[in-house]
Amino acid sequence: MEHTYQYLWIISFVTLPVPMLIGMGLLLFPVSTKKLHRIWAFPSVLLLSIVMVFSTDLFIQQINSSSIYQYVWSWTINNDFSLEFGHLIDPLTSILLILITTVGILVLVYSDSYMSHDQGYLRFFVYMSFFNTSMLGLVTSSNLIQIYIFWELVGMCSYLLIGFWFTRPIVSNACQKAFVTNRVGDFGLLLGILGLYWITGSFEFQDLFEIFNNLIYNNDNEVHFLFVTLCAFLLFSGAIAKSAQFPLHVWLPDAMEGPTPISALIHAATMVAAGIFLVARLLPLFVVIPYIMKLIALIGIITVLLGATLAFAQKDIKRGLAYSTMSQLGYTMLALGMGSYRAALFHLITHAYSKALLFLGSGSIIHSMEGIVGYSPDKSQNMVLMGGLTKHVPITKIAFLLGTLSLCGIPPLACFWSKDEILNDSWSYSPIFAIIAFSTAGLTAFYMFRVYLLTFEGHLNIYFQNYSGKKNSAFYSISLWGKQGSKILKKKMRLLPLLTINNENNNERASFFCFFWKKIYQTGGTVRKMTCPFITINHFGTKRIFSYPQESDNTILFPMLVLVLFTLFIGAIGIPFNQFNQEEMNLDILSKLLIPSLSLLHQNQNKSVDWYEFVTNSTFSVSIASFGIFIASSLYKPIYSSLQNLKFLNLVAKKGPKRILWDKIINVIYDWSYNRGYIDVFYAISLTEGIRRLAELTSFFDRRVIDGITNGVGFTSFFAGEGIKYVGGGRISFYLLLYLFYVLIFLLISSSIFSSFSSL
Amino acid sequence: MYLVFTTNSFPWLTIFVGLPISAGFLIFVFPHRGNKVIRWYTIFICVLELLLMTYAFAYYFQLDDPLIQLTESYKWINFFDFYWRLGIDGLSLGPILLTGFITTLATLAARPITRDSRLFHFLMLAMYSGQIGLFSSQNLLLFFIMWELELIPVYLLLAMWGGKQRLYSATKFILYTAGSSVFLLMGALGIAFYASNEPTFNFETSANQSYPVTLEILFYIGFLIAFAVKSPIIPLHTWLPDTHGEAHYSTCMLLAGILLKMGAYGLVRINMELLSHAHSIFSSWLIIVGAIQIIYAASTSSGQKNLKKRIAYSSVSHMGFTIIGICSISDMGLNGAILQIISHGFIGAALFFLSGTSYDRIRLVYLDEMGGMATLMPKIFMMFSILSLASLALPGMSGFFAELVVFFGIITAKKYFLMPKILITFVTAVGTILTPIYLLSMLRQMFYGYKLFNATNSYFFDSGPRELFVSIAILLPVISIGIYPDFVFSLSVDKVEAILSNYFYS
Repeated sequence: MEHTYQYLWIISFVTLPVPMLIGMGLLLFPVSTKKLHRIWAFPSVLLLSIVMVFSTDLFIQQINSSSIYQYVWSWTINNDFSLEFGHLIDPLTSILLILITTVGILVLVYSDSYMSHDQGYLRFFVYMSFFNTSMLGLVTSSNLIQIYIFWELVGMCSYLLIGFWFTRPIVSNACQKAFVTNRVGDFGLLLGILGLYWITGSFEFQDLFEIFNNLIYNNDNEVHFLFVTLCAFLLFSGAIAKSAQFPLHVWLPDAMEGPTPISALIHAATMVAAGIFLVARLLPLFVVIPYIMKLIALIGIITVLLGATLAFAQKDIKRGLAYSTMSQLGYTMLALGMGSYRAALFHLITHAYSKALLFLGSGSIIHSMEGIVGYSPDKSQNMVLMGGLTKHVPITKIAFLLGTLSLCGIPPLACFWSKDEILNDSWSYSPIFAIIAFSTAGLTAFYMFRVYLLTFEGHLNIYFQNYSGKKNSAFYSISLWGKQGSKILKKKMRLLPLLTINNENNNERASFFCFFWKKIYQTGGTVRKMTCPFITINHFGTKRIFSYPQESDNTILFPMLVLVLFTLFIGAIGIPFNQFNQEEMNLDILSKLLIPSLSLLHQNQNKSVDWYEFVTNSTFSVSIASFGIFIASSLYKPIYSSLQNLKFLNLVAKKGPKRILWDKIINVIYDWSYNRGYIDVFYAISLTEGIRRLAELTSFFDRRVIDGITNGVGFTSFFAGEGIKYVGGGRISFYLLLYLFYVLIFLLISSSIFSSFSSL
Repeated sequence: MYLVFTTNSFPWLTIFVGLPISAGFLIFVFPHRGNKVIRWYTIFICVLELLLMTYAFAYYFQLDDPLIQLTESYKWINFFDFYWRLGIDGLSLGPILLTGFITTLATLAARPITRDSRLFHFLMLAMYSGQIGLFSSQNLLLFFIMWELELIPVYLLLAMWGGKQRLYSATKFILYTAGSSVFLLMGALGIAFYASNEPTFNFETSANQSYPVTLEILFYIGFLIAFAVKSPIIPLHTWLPDTHGEAHYSTCMLLAGILLKMGAYGLVRINMELLSHAHSIFSSWLIIVGAIQIIYAASTSSGQKNLKKRIAYSSVSHMGFTIIGICSISDMGLNGAILQIISHGFIGAALFFLSGTSYDRIRLVYLDEMGGMATLMPKIFMMFSILSLASLALPGMSGFFAELVVFFGIITAKKYFLMPKILITFVTAVGTILTPIYLLSMLRQMFYGYKLFNATNSYFFDSGPRELFVSIAILLPVISIGIYPDFVFSLSVDKVEAILSNYFYS
């Protein structure tokens, strides 16, 4: 078996040929490559499946004999500095390999159908395959530099994929925001790596941990403890940005502007897990610094609460899910901070599958809605326009419901087991944290069911919007490109000129408008070819043909069903089956895998949960979750009157005239949540404005002062030259005057000097 | 003391220096057959030169030898012992190959130029000679002559083929650089006349000389001013944005790709190698200047509305890494600086090329007027994105590795204490946050979003094969250095060690 390990470096490069080949094809033979575009999905899926087979094999081996393998090759050799490339296979890596490949394959299959009519189909697959390559490289890295390299590469893929539909201004802001926010984290990571290198002189994890532990235990005076803590904190800040934890979470909701498969793969299952992965990987290092562990837990708990509260009032289905992702990652981070390594990984896995399922489900919904409301994400992803989809998309509904229940922590489903474990551990860590964590479990159930109910229950709201004929309803003022246009489209009047414009320079603009949407829709027996969503709206305005969303095709449903299976059964890897019958063998698969890592951490060795405690705790958490579900269904169960307004909470609360205070509280919470906790605004005002001011100031300084001096010197010399020209004007009397003047001065000076000499 | 004819077989370097300019003179005797002949001829000469250089270096240059190789020494002026002394070592090998590469591509990029194409191509070839002569000269006076020689072509290229404000920029350029080369001349003469009766301009003899501290500091300041203008180091950088903003993009490629590197090269070659004591005194100040420069230029860059000026300031910011690397006086720092010289030579040239080609199409220079070019020009968009990412030090590209090694250079520098190191590293690393801000917002303003261009008076072609070739040709070395940086390291490692052996703490 040594051989398999030795050649496993190939894992991260198996998928690389696809992006390279397609990229070259697109550059050199664009036409033929584009014609054959559907074929390219096949090799991507195939190569990733090969990787999956490899990693499954690896996983099984790791279960049987969990051990750590590391191979390195020297990459660049300098005199006193050598960088090495290598791979490190340990249980953590093998778990993440499985996770990435399975979700990756499913998302690739899914996006083959989801993106099939997109002009950028090939580009999408290039980015996706490249992302898979770098993500696989990231988890198999054996040293910090390698981690940093792949860390940046996945960040770049995320940037490119968020900016996939680059014609929309919102998208371009979102992708830049994501990259820059991540760069702030990377800045910390880089500094942390440099600091650690300065302390230990190594990048390899194994050496690093050993040297570091020795340093801490020997309590060297050479290395200041504060400096060590600082370095650890800087390393952690990389994880904060990547996993969207509290101060640097702002990019994740905006990242939902990317195509939905990307949100499922990158921004829910894999890339955001990279931060967790890094912390888990460096946990032996963090464990010895108690402050850092406390900080990690603190950041985790803040994120848990913040994410849950911000998810309340999102009307975009994907943003709601994004805040939920943030909150759940917060749970994982909390678990890591508490030192319960196993629970963190368990929740990472279960959450990844459940959230991927939810995102794919939302993608399917969006896909169905697009045909009706048009292609602007402001409409197709708007939960206010959805509702009553149960009838139309039954399979998606079941899948989505299962994902929702799993995330809420309802017993047989995956997330229940892992979340329960974290909640249990939090009791022993700190009661305050535990209370927050438990109440957030209720909040999770609430917001998830809010999403579910708004989407699937009741009736399709889009037509109510039309019937009510409200011109100022937010959705009609949103132009095609997502810009909050000040113009309120007054139905036909404004639409017609737009249409004519389209027709006039159709040749020029065809590439624009057909960028995402060339699709033939079957509605009411007539085939309409839609080249532009304006036309769609127009149809609704005039003819009022009611079309209903349709279930997506099988290629979309299949990955969702597979993920349903995962969601149902993945919890099994962490359920301590054996502890009920045999006392000596209380090990589930996950614990078995993680024995070596756990022993590295020097703690949580003997944690035998007894059955009674487990049941009480889980009853408690499940009842909290069901309470949240109950509240959600009492608020969001379809009441038609409430659909007229966005502020549902307001309307419901207004029922009782006495509850003005309650009303106010609700309003405050709603505003807080709707405005994303004012954090984005704060950043926009303080940081973005600050940098802009700084830029203006420096460029002003540069232009006026530094350049001004230069130009000033130039002008002075010019004027001096002119002046001298005037002096030499040719008048004899002037020359004589000057001459006498100089002679006088000379005499004065010489006489004064002589007098001073004579006085000596 | 007469130096023997050390050339072993063939005067390679003399040929390399002489070939382009003498071939350039032939352009004027060509019959009037249109521009095509001249273009092809120039490109042919450039490629020939590049191939010859590659051949000669591959077969006659030993990489593991830190001494000067392929030396040639001919007595030129008997009167004051002035020799035509050429020779290369690991330090100059990289810039020479870079020069060949970038100049060839710049000639290819300059094909749209039709006005006065004889003179233009002659000037390109003259610059080629001057640059190679500079990088391979082993004599202070020869170094100075070559330094001056390439100023004139740049001035003319700028003044004749530039943009609207070309005269202002050209004057500024020539005043700055000619003013600074006075200091270079003073320094050179000072070193030459010190200690011996007859002037010695030879690098090798002056390297072994030691000077009184004050005198050495004076020399150092003189050279520093000359190289600081060229490199550029703040606050002597303001000629650069103007020059880059106005010059034709093929000239910009040469300016950003090679000319700026001459300053950094001079810093290593003269200030570090000849004046080591003064360098160790000054380096702690210069390193602060370098760190400030990175931040300052990066934030100035985000305040620029003009596309080319923005890229120009990004060059200034990136050259800060070179200065930090040179002043860290550590093995890795200097290696990183050399790598950054090469890497930025490629990336900067490519960015200027791409901005020039997109300017050719949209005829807009201000970023806030642009927008939505991605759908119209997907290939330019792609290359621009990739190279911007390379410029913001994305791993897998050369820029990342250069910056990383410079960082390690600061960390491992034995000269500085912990606190200054932390501060310098921190400030430098803030630059890595600012870089994506201006580069990505440049991309966003140019390509993202959508905009209706007036279809009548602007026409869009995507990159043609020539432009695609140029940008890919630059991209390939960027990626290959990024994946396997030993390509460049192997050239300079031994020489760097030899230079640093003069310093106590390394």
